[in-house]
Amino acid sequence: MTIFDWFQRRSRKKKSKQPPLPIPDQYMEQHADDPIPNNLEKAVQLFTGLLEDSQFLTVRRFRLFGQFPAAMIYFSNMVDPEIKNADILRPLMYVPDHLAGTRIALKDLSDIVMNDALYYTGSERQQKMGKVILKLLRGGTAVLIDGLNDAIVMETTKIAQRSIDQPETEQVIRGPREGFVEQLGTNISLLRYRLPTTDLKVKTMDLGRVTKSKVAVCYLKGIANDALIQEVFNRLSKIDIDGALDTGYLEQFIEDSHYSPFPQIQNTERTDKAVANLLEGRVIILMDGSPFALILPTTFSQFYQTTEDYNERFLMVSFVRLARLQALVFSLITPSLYVAIISYNPELIPTEFAVAVSGGRAGVPFPSVVEVLVMEASMEMLREATLRLPQQIGGALSIVGVLVVGQAAVAAGFVSPITVVVIALTTIGSFATPAYNAALALRLLRFPLVGMASMFGLYGVMVGLILIANHVLSLRSFGVPYLTPIVPGNFQGMKDTLLRFPLWSMKRRPTLLHTDNDRRLGKDVDNQMKRPTNNTLDPLKVGNEKEDAEGGISPSDHGDTSGGDHH
Amino acid sequence: MIKGVWPGRIERLLWIGVVFPLLTGCWDRLEIEERAVVLAIGIDEVENGSEVEVPQITNESDIFAPPNNQLVRVTVQIAVPGGIPLGPGEGGGGSSGVGGGQRSIWVVDAVGNTIEGALNNLQERIAPPLFYGHLRIIIVSEAVARKGIDNLNDYFRRNPEVRRMNWMFVCKGKAIDLMKTSPQLERVPPLYLVSMMDQAVKMGRFPNDFLGLFWSASSALGKEGFLPYLSLKPQGTMEIDGMAFFVKDKMVGLTKPIEIPMYMGIMGMSPAGGQVYVQVPEMHNFVLFGGRARKSIIKSSIRDGEPHISIHTGIEGVILEKFSEGMPLDDRTIHLIERKLEHDALEGYRELIRKTQEKGSDIFGFGEIIRAKQWRYWNRHIGTEEAWREKYKTLDVDINVHIYIRRIGMKSR
Amino acid sequence: MEYPRQITVIQAAAIITSTIIGVGVLALPYFAAGHAGTASPLITLAAILLSFFGLWFISVLGMRFRTQSIVEYSEAILGRWLAFAGNLLIILFFAALTSLAAREFGEVVITAVLKRTPLEVVVAIMLLIAMISCRKDITTFAYIHHFYLPIIVFPAIVIVALSLRNAKAINLLPIWGNANSWSNLLGGVLVVAALFQAAFIYTMVIPYMRRPERALVASSAGLAIAGGLYLSIVIAVIGVFGAEETKKLQWPTLELAKTTTLPGNVLERLDAAFLALWVTAVFSTLFSTYYFTIFAIGKLFRMRDRNMLAPFLMPLLFAFAMVPTNVLHMYQIIGQVGRLGLYLTIGYPLFLLIVAKIRRIRGNSDDQGRVARPN
Repeated sequence: MTIFDWFQRRSRKKKSKQPPLPIPDQYMEQHADDPIPNNLEKAVQLFTGLLEDSQFLTVRRFRLFGQFPAAMIYFSNMVDPEIKNADILRPLMYVPDHLAGTRIALKDLSDIVMNDALYYTGSERQQKMGKVILKLLRGGTAVLIDGLNDAIVMETTKIAQRSIDQPETEQVIRGPREGFVEQLGTNISLLRYRLPTTDLKVKTMDLGRVTKSKVAVCYLKGIANDALIQEVFNRLSKIDIDGALDTGYLEQFIEDSHYSPFPQIQNTERTDKAVANLLEGRVIILMDGSPFALILPTTFSQFYQTTEDYNERFLMVSFVRLARLQALVFSLITPSLYVAIISYNPELIPTEFAVAVSGGRAGVPFPSVVEVLVMEASMEMLREATLRLPQQIGGALSIVGVLVVGQAAVAAGFVSPITVVVIALTTIGSFATPAYNAALALRLLRFPLVGMASMFGLYGVMVGLILIANHVLSLRSFGVPYLTPIVPGNFQGMKDTLLRFPLWSMKRRPTLLHTDNDRRLGKDVDNQMKRPTNNTLDPLKVGNEKEDAEGGISPSDHGDTSGGDHH
Repeated sequence: MIKGVWPGRIERLLWIGVVFPLLTGCWDRLEIEERAVVLAIGIDEVENGSEVEVPQITNESDIFAPPNNQLVRVTVQIAVPGGIPLGPGEGGGGSSGVGGGQRSIWVVDAVGNTIEGALNNLQERIAPPLFYGHLRIIIVSEAVARKGIDNLNDYFRRNPEVRRMNWMFVCKGKAIDLMKTSPQLERVPPLYLVSMMDQAVKMGRFPNDFLGLFWSASSALGKEGFLPYLSLKPQGTMEIDGMAFFVKDKMVGLTKPIEIPMYMGIMGMSPAGGQVYVQVPEMHNFVLFGGRARKSIIKSSIRDGEPHISIHTGIEGVILEKFSEGMPLDDRTIHLIERKLEHDALEGYRELIRKTQEKGSDIFGFGEIIRAKQWRYWNRHIGTEEAWREKYKTLDVDINVHIYIRRIGMKSR
Repeated sequence: MEYPRQITVIQAAAIITSTIIGVGVLALPYFAAGHAGTASPLITLAAILLSFFGLWFISVLGMRFRTQSIVEYSEAILGRWLAFAGNLLIILFFAALTSLAAREFGEVVITAVLKRTPLEVVVAIMLLIAMISCRKDITTFAYIHHFYLPIIVFPAIVIVALSLRNAKAINLLPIWGNANSWSNLLGGVLVVAALFQAAFIYTMVIPYMRRPERALVASSAGLAIAGGLYLSIVIAVIGVFGAEETKKLQWPTLELAKTTTLPGNVLERLDAAFLALWVTAVFSTLFSTYYFTIFAIGKLFRMRDRNMLAPFLMPLLFAFAMVPTNVLHMYQIIGQVGRLGLYLTIGYPLFLLIVAKIRRIRGNSDDQGRVARPN
């Protein structure tokens, strides 16, 4: 056989040799729909047998209404102690007042418990094993009654959560300091209190076979495009893994292009950013266990914008945004430009400087490419190191690393001083990019560009940039071209890309999202803004008060006693 | 990627086959410190009879025979890496700012049949490759200029590294002497010359005449080029001793230094920086007049079938210095000075034009004006550079001068 | 619902402009001055007008047959076999244009900037990046041109504006030139007009425009911008150097960039930077012609999947690019191919238009299953 046949045979063999995947949680797969046994003892045994956790799984037997044997099952480290004591056990032990003295039949029991006795609001009746176990696993409490195959399950979860604080990765000077936490319920509550409208829809689904994480898809109906919402659900429902630990897992499954270095879905920990994006017509995905919310669809222009841009005044903020964009560009091209100019086109720099630079490089043993790559690699190492260290050591290390090591390297003649400056500028530029995943993409793309620059100089840098630009131009996020609103051109959208136009001039929501309801502002706001302001406290009107005398307050006829007739 | 197993695999192979060879070399990579940055070039001729051996690098006597001409000596100033520190001179090398010139420049020379031949011979002796991207100064000795610089022009035009913003000079005596001087005020001595010329242009002491302009003027049908003429003076200074004017690529004459502002006066170039003595009539006193702005209007016409140029030129200026007291400056005196100056200037201009007409070197570009405005005449009667040179010798030029003295400085009289 | 017509009028104009502006502008003043001396701006203007006619015919044809590209409607007009010959000729011409443009740019780069890199490498890289980009659909094609347009136009405008400082009006007079024969002038017009002929790819764009009835407006705007840029470059070059000096420079536009300094002497010798930015202009032209070649082959042979064509064509294009033996030979070939191309890009559409009018053939005005734009 030929070598091609051999190849084919090999790939076929590999596929057939794979063993079947193990199925997690076999009990739940098979017995989820079984009814709860009537006999209390058997039921309790079934539960304790399944959930083998002697330390924390507690079975509290008691007599319901003083007569009927019952048991309360819960994980003691997951339930709220006050609730279980006061709100569950107490009312169940005493016959409710209005029923005192009547005979209570067994078959009516679950009814009486639910409707007359138990006043805890988070309770419901369940007959299926699967559901009861799931509730228990999540921190609920189940009350089993001898003779009934109903169980009362109650929502009593109380898991320690961290306090709501400004997220560390997205700090602003001016703006709310609220960030999402890991509990889905809290997160949704943070969204709801800011959007008290019936249009805010939150649809949940469970993803992950073992983790069964609750995933919530939030959107504003009527503003978000229906087809988009449908597509999001489609893509999410195709996910079939055993555990999803962070929204990042979801992102990787539903994004458009898996191989592109550029992220097509944004993520945030800030609540105001999530709400702002909801208002524009985007869809938010939240997950239990992760403080990061996914925002989709995403375009490139969102990666250098922050929520602070909208809180401050537009002139200053436009300038700051330009600075950020400059940082982004710097972080991508500075090292390759440096290599290209020094190694290929030194005639571009002024003569005096060129001669001085060659002096600075005279003792360095390596070509500038090697220098730049070595320094960049060490910079990446340093960055990772500072991430892992605790606060006290980490802070000092960054200063030590950059200043001292860099200085020492220069003094040792290992690198030239200009290289250090270039690398420092690049790193600072990449820190200034607000979105971490975009900064990561640009960080990565630096290296091929340096490679191209080292082979072909400025020409190589241009070719590399053209390749990157072409890739970005063909990228789409849920169908939206990645570089909207620059390409395809959209004038309204451009009011919020490089510069930020005043809030009252951005009348419509971004057309890239194809919303049905696209008016943002009321119809008259523009005219209102153009009218001159009312000088309420102008001294002319309210007078100047200086100690005792009252000066400057004049009657509106300026003391003219002639009665206004001046001819 | 392309779908299907086989097309996909072929495509991958194609990719590998194409990309890998590209990675084999960075052909043009040359670190900045590995280059010999040539800052200035000086060109001399080698006199007959001097014992000079031309290394047989670009030629052998019979095969690859070189042109049979005078040998040239090329001197270059190469920047020494490390001789010029980054930033204000740090401790390290012990070189101070003043007198840094010595250590930052290395002067070497070589001999050859042509420019490129000589440079090639030079490269044989110098390790790092010569790099002309920062070449700023080209100095040609008068002897070479008079013999013709077409070889030079061709070489520098062809070389892609050479800029058009360089300055080319003609020097008195030998270029190599100038190259060896190093003025004190500059870390990089050739840049001293560059800033000298740039400042001269800004002060109005010399017209803007860098290499590109010189070439454009030489190529133009109705105009000839000129170059500044340098001579070495005591204390390591160099002086612009006039303009060397050319016919095609041979130097044919030299103006006096004072004729430079005159040239600029005829052409109406601002800013104006010339200063002249004026003898005040009726007063036996002298004042020094400094020009501040110039303007001229040059018109062409055909009279009796012959081309005719008329120039109206005006200079505005100030009185800089009065020789002795005893003559208060008042309006009437000012006007007297103006008239005298007009008279003197007219004579000077006429003399300059006559001087250039003798050699047929139209550095003013009157021919271009005729070609542009009186093109019918040009197309029919002239048409070529040589024909214009002949015609220029007998060109009729009319000049009117107007001088305006506007201010007299801080002193009231 | 699918909306396959996505190209807006602005994008169509951008496609025309960035396709036209390419490597030819570097040597343009040399050829113009060689033929016409100081009358170069005039012949450039005349060439723009001539190309406008070509584009006019194409636009009218496109508006008449608004759902079909030239490959398809030429079959409708001329019949299968005659159109086959015409289309084959067009394909060969554009393939040649791609190769020669890559080669010309390679020559410039090798001579002016990267002196030791082998020519093959530079040419191969240009063809490669065009090839990689050819996989994309036509909407992305439009996006790419739209995106690169400011990058192309802006440095050219900057160079022209900065260099006009040094220009002298007298270098541009007399407007008619000195002693130019009519044949010289005409030859010059044809040479310059050959630089605009890449705009023929417009025939591929019109069927995908959102509003094809505006095709003429878009093409005129695009041609006006490109032509205006070319004209201003010619004026700047001749104004700064003079016609005679320009005749001595192989690539005068590059020299113009060399002479320009940014105010304040921030950067000197801008030609390397200019050339780097010019890579985008050449890329956009190469991309257009390469894409058109593949598109036309795909339509001609009724292929469903065009993606394989690009890599297969590349070795052929590369081989043809290596045919000229030296720079001067290359310009000779470019001149000949350009001359031929003028007949093809101006004469052929005219011919088609006349025949279509005589035979009263029109295109389908409905979109045959393609949904028109929403209300």
